[in-house]
Amino acid sequence: MLTRRRFVGTAGATAAIAGASALALPTGPRRAHAQGRPFTFCSWGGALSAMEKEAFMDPAEKLFNVKVTNASPTAQAKIKAMVEANAVEWDLVDVGGRSIFIGRDQNFLEPIDYKIVANAKNLDKRWVHTHGVYTSTGATLIAWNDKAFPGDKGPQSWKDFWDVKNLPGPRGLYKLMYYNYEAAMLAAGVKESEMYPVTPEKAKQAIAKMAEIKPHVKVWWTAGAQPPQLLSSGELAACSVWSGRLFDALKEKAPIGFTWKDGIAWGNAWVVPKGTPHKDLAMKILNSALTDEAQTRLLGIGVYGPVLESAAKKATPEQAKQLIMYPDNLKHMMLLSDEQAGVYMSKYEEDWNKMLLA
Amino acid sequence: MLTATMRRHLISAALLAPVVGFLAVVFMLPLGVLLKLSFTAPAGPLSTYADILGGWLYTRVFWNTLVLAVMVTAITILAGYPTAHMLTRLKGLTLTLAVYGVLFPLWISVLIRTFAWILLLEKNGPINRLLVGAGILDAPAAFLFSNTGVAIGMVHVLLPYAILPIYANMLRVDARLLQASDGLGASPLATFRRVYLPLTMPGVAAGAVLVFLLALGFFITPALLGGANSMTVAMLIETLVNERLAWPLAGAASFLLLAAILVLLAVASRFVKLGAALEVR
Repeated sequence: MLTRRRFVGTAGATAAIAGASALALPTGPRRAHAQGRPFTFCSWGGALSAMEKEAFMDPAEKLFNVKVTNASPTAQAKIKAMVEANAVEWDLVDVGGRSIFIGRDQNFLEPIDYKIVANAKNLDKRWVHTHGVYTSTGATLIAWNDKAFPGDKGPQSWKDFWDVKNLPGPRGLYKLMYYNYEAAMLAAGVKESEMYPVTPEKAKQAIAKMAEIKPHVKVWWTAGAQPPQLLSSGELAACSVWSGRLFDALKEKAPIGFTWKDGIAWGNAWVVPKGTPHKDLAMKILNSALTDEAQTRLLGIGVYGPVLESAAKKATPEQAKQLIMYPDNLKHMMLLSDEQAGVYMSKYEEDWNKMLLA
Repeated sequence: MLTATMRRHLISAALLAPVVGFLAVVFMLPLGVLLKLSFTAPAGPLSTYADILGGWLYTRVFWNTLVLAVMVTAITILAGYPTAHMLTRLKGLTLTLAVYGVLFPLWISVLIRTFAWILLLEKNGPINRLLVGAGILDAPAAFLFSNTGVAIGMVHVLLPYAILPIYANMLRVDARLLQASDGLGASPLATFRRVYLPLTMPGVAAGAVLVFLLALGFFITPALLGGANSMTVAMLIETLVNERLAWPLAGAASFLLLAAILVLLAVASRFVKLGAALEVR
């Protein structure tokens, strides 16, 4: 998520809520307006958007003989506002995976039409849901500064990450509860199989575990650009980091080490806003992104990996080092449940913020 | 027959109409919708306001935001005042260069400037290397990820908003008044305290109000340069809007912030003439 800088989208999203709901009042349905615009795909921007354009959207333009507009940045609040105002401007959206389930529950997404998206049957079931499909994969990994911990001397698990006695140095973690619930539970010795479903007791346990490491967390990062920068400069000894950002920095020979162990794997989810005038085309393009051919294109670009295992298996040994779906890497990792993340993010975010401010 | 006064009022109304109409449609109407939205929580119309006013988290964040804004405003004015005074003494090319020096940062995205501060202020960054190298500090200081870092970043962004009104005010000060004070035997300090400072207070008040209002709504700088406890109301509202999709609660938080600002302005206007401060001559 190179530019998952939420704040960039915030002003827009907030304005969209106020603006869109204002428009909805006097004018009523505005669907006709949307029909005149080209098919629009919206994503996070940066390297992810560039990758999706090259691997999925440009080929789709030729395949279906249509014009695709690539927009950014994405925000689930904007989708909700557009749908409620009946002024849907995006037809296919790459959005945080939680939105698949929040959008299903709050009724602002179209159900995926699996008659058209037939290629989804080749994917691992965990990537396929009623209201969204993951089309590429990334992970939140443990990384460290090479001077603080030379070679593979860095934390090899979240337990190690919490162990500031044996592995001293300032830490960095993501600002929101996302990924941190999983990291804290792994650090507390809870297995992946016992982590979900989230209960009030488990949320409490995770936040209490977080309070343990909090005095050593110097940075609660918000933008994907921060961890590689802070690790390279030595400001932090160890930090959680998005894989796409990490590999981008490693291309520039950043002095950073990382491990797949205890990695938290996730995907880039595509959804279709309810009421889009291009619904069928959205489903067709989604289907075309899941072909072996389209998924294999991701290997050459080297930012986020394919979600399709048969494509991941074609990786050269060099490419495989950076692939989430590569069996040798995947076996060390857990898979984040965006459905459960949606639960803890809405129910326990307030307790999380209290822990941060205490 | 229209009297002259009536005609003047009519002309004023006609001249104001486009702006008033524009604001009514793009600002007041959405604001009204947002206000309505803030009363639509499932738990009852006033539950959102009760949640925020009664919750430890929200009151703490409001207090944080207020303290940060007051601190940043004070530093910005203290730094901006002498700068504005220097500007009044410059002429020609040096004045042009200095004015561009003040204005130029406004043309660079706040996001980029904030990232630049991370590079400058980090543990092994140029500022720390300079301070340690010159023997001023024994070990690198932790500027970042605390309210210190946030204050540095915010003061930088907000300085032009303080300097420009103060500078405009200072230009209007009649130099003969200072000479008269001097001629009547006042010390330079007394001239400053009893003549120059009171005459430039409207500019200071205008700058302070501008900076304070902008500081209350800051988002990017505290999000990137702040630590765990540098959470501002704007950051909280962002989470409510984007992450929790709790729009009624976000609406209530926005209106409470707006209410707090109006109360503060009302209180401030008892001490400084805000009307005069914002007057442009």
